[in-house]
Amino acid sequence: MITFLIRRILQMFVVLILSAIVSYALLYVAPGGPIEQLRAKQQQQGGQQGAEAIRADDIARIIARFELDLYMPVRFTRWLIGFPRGPITIGDREFFGDLEVGCKTPGLVRLRYPDGREELVEEGCQEAVYLRDLTTRRATNGILFGDFGVSQVILRDRPITTLIMSRLPYTLVLMGTSILLSILIGIPIGVYSAVRQYSRFDTIMTTLAFIGSSLPSFFFGILAILLFSVLAQQANLPYLPSGDAVANRNYTMPVLGTIRAGSFLDMFLHFIMPCSVLTFINIAGWSRFIRGSMLEVLPQDYVRTARSKGLRESSVLISHALRNALIPFVTLLAGILPALFGGAIIIESVFNWPGLGRLLLDALNRNDYTVAMALTFIQILLLLIGYLLSDILYTVVDPRIKLT
Amino acid sequence: MSSQLASSHDRITTPIENQWVSLLKRLLRHRIAMVSLAILLVMFGASLLAPQIAPFPRDRIAIDAIRLAPMEREPDGQLHLLGTDHLGRDYFTRLLYAARVSMLVAILVSVISTLIGIVLGLLAGYFGGWVDIAISRTLEFVSTFPGLTILLIVASILLRNENFIVFPRFMDRFVAALFAISEREAKQVTLIILTLSLLGWTGTARLMRGLTLSVREQPYIEAARALGVSNITIMLRHILPNAAPPMIVDFTLGINGALVGEAGLSFLGFGIQDPTPTWGNTLAFAKDYMLVSPWMPLVAGFPILIVSLAINYLGDGLRDAIDPRSKV
Repeated sequence: MITFLIRRILQMFVVLILSAIVSYALLYVAPGGPIEQLRAKQQQQGGQQGAEAIRADDIARIIARFELDLYMPVRFTRWLIGFPRGPITIGDREFFGDLEVGCKTPGLVRLRYPDGREELVEEGCQEAVYLRDLTTRRATNGILFGDFGVSQVILRDRPITTLIMSRLPYTLVLMGTSILLSILIGIPIGVYSAVRQYSRFDTIMTTLAFIGSSLPSFFFGILAILLFSVLAQQANLPYLPSGDAVANRNYTMPVLGTIRAGSFLDMFLHFIMPCSVLTFINIAGWSRFIRGSMLEVLPQDYVRTARSKGLRESSVLISHALRNALIPFVTLLAGILPALFGGAIIIESVFNWPGLGRLLLDALNRNDYTVAMALTFIQILLLLIGYLLSDILYTVVDPRIKLT
Repeated sequence: MSSQLASSHDRITTPIENQWVSLLKRLLRHRIAMVSLAILLVMFGASLLAPQIAPFPRDRIAIDAIRLAPMEREPDGQLHLLGTDHLGRDYFTRLLYAARVSMLVAILVSVISTLIGIVLGLLAGYFGGWVDIAISRTLEFVSTFPGLTILLIVASILLRNENFIVFPRFMDRFVAALFAISEREAKQVTLIILTLSLLGWTGTARLMRGLTLSVREQPYIEAARALGVSNITIMLRHILPNAAPPMIVDFTLGINGALVGEAGLSFLGFGIQDPTPTWGNTLAFAKDYMLVSPWMPLVAGFPILIVSLAINYLGDGLRDAIDPRSKV
């Protein structure tokens, strides 16, 4: 067990670093990137002058902000582990202070073509950045040590941690409640469907589950808003707010009367719809899964043995059949951890729920790449932890499995 | 003597049937699957004829007739079967063109990712050893990325830097002709197809690898190898046909996955952008006006509901037809 854990954690570390490299590369090495976008915009504007025009110092600012003057590997390690920050000093001696780590102004070479055209081409380096220069720059402690740096657009220059913490409670409450409800409702439905296979209950439930897991989730969100928000309001019934987590101002509603904005009732009303839609979608998937694995377990010999021993039916179903049927279910649980954190991006977007899924969308919409990177990184980490936990859980639900 | 044996054999047992014929017969008996198939064929056929059927030009804007309800007329008397959107564009026309984009994207994505999955899964399962290790580790690595998150990031980066990515001209032309869109819009569609298929092959590869592993040690493979049949021929002639039925189900359900994936991306604004119509972005705009015109999301969401359900029922029917344990 111990050797297994050590080996797995080492593997996880390697995967984590690899995925950090890949996601970093995705955001910064992809064709385009902040500077090329600015240059393209500059070219579109042509020689136009004025407040809107992009000037050289704008480009310089962007370069400084994203440390684009540093060489790629240096930039990456500074982002990942906050290294290097300056020359290594041992005692009073400085080492590697003269090491070139970047290029402030690229050298320009004028190319003259035989047909008379001239072109400026970047070649070599006119003014280099040395390791010594890094001491004066602001640096993060590295994403690997939990320092995600600062947001570039959404909350300019504020730590990303603050941004994430302000959204996290919304996502945790929404996802936590709906996952809990789905387990509490979905498992019994799955078990009952399997025990009464082909009964009317089973037919209705499998059809619902089939529809629930095949349609896109935003469809159910929109349908719910239409029914419980738009139509209910038009019919003068108590309705549910169509979006957001709290209201801006007090509002009145038939039967319930005036609802103070920000009160518990207000927040609860806002919470019902996103939570129920998510729960419905989760139940659809999970009850099908439980039903399937119960159907495989029920005809087994040990279930018949348990019955013939004269055990109560409930004990046969729960501690003999369900316990074994839950073993494959454990793999699904690995996804819960990142889901709790990442939120349901589509549902949060439909209901305008200010959670982390919306934050990711905002970050991508507004080019706040550092925020998007931080969110992705945390999700990958949580997914890896989830896999590890589900492996360990396997040994709990099935003692026959030994981890080596 | 031997002919006598053969004839008595024929009398006792049912005649031997080609597996594909029996599969087809079982599928034909599956009523919901056949209805679904009919619906899908009609929708797909209509979408291919979009330029001929559509009553209006795709992007025609009627300024004095925005957000018309179904069956309402413009002031000058032109009928809009399914009403108009927030810019006064005819919904029926746009949904027809959108059907072409959405369904073809879904099919192409499923074709590409199934092909990648089959090739990699076959190689990993058949050769084992370091080939298997390399492919399996890549597969695990790709599935470490959180699904929708990475899809959104890749799509947003690609779309943002669209101008820096150049496809060969013939490819843009081909895509434009296939999807009945302009060449300028084609690049976006190509990018979305590539994104979805490059992130969507892992499930197929895993399935194919498992199927190959289960067949690889069978005596007939050994016999083929003893006869000196080449690896490629064994894989294509002996392993692939055995894996074909589950692959067909996987391909069918993959179409739905891609359909929902593309719709989700376009719905969130990171997929194919307006004015190229897709079911996802049409629904996204309809959603913004649902408080004032509640029929808009119903009209815009109806095709995706029908097609998604139909594909799933068809996939389900195929699975039932293939699995001998299930009763049809």
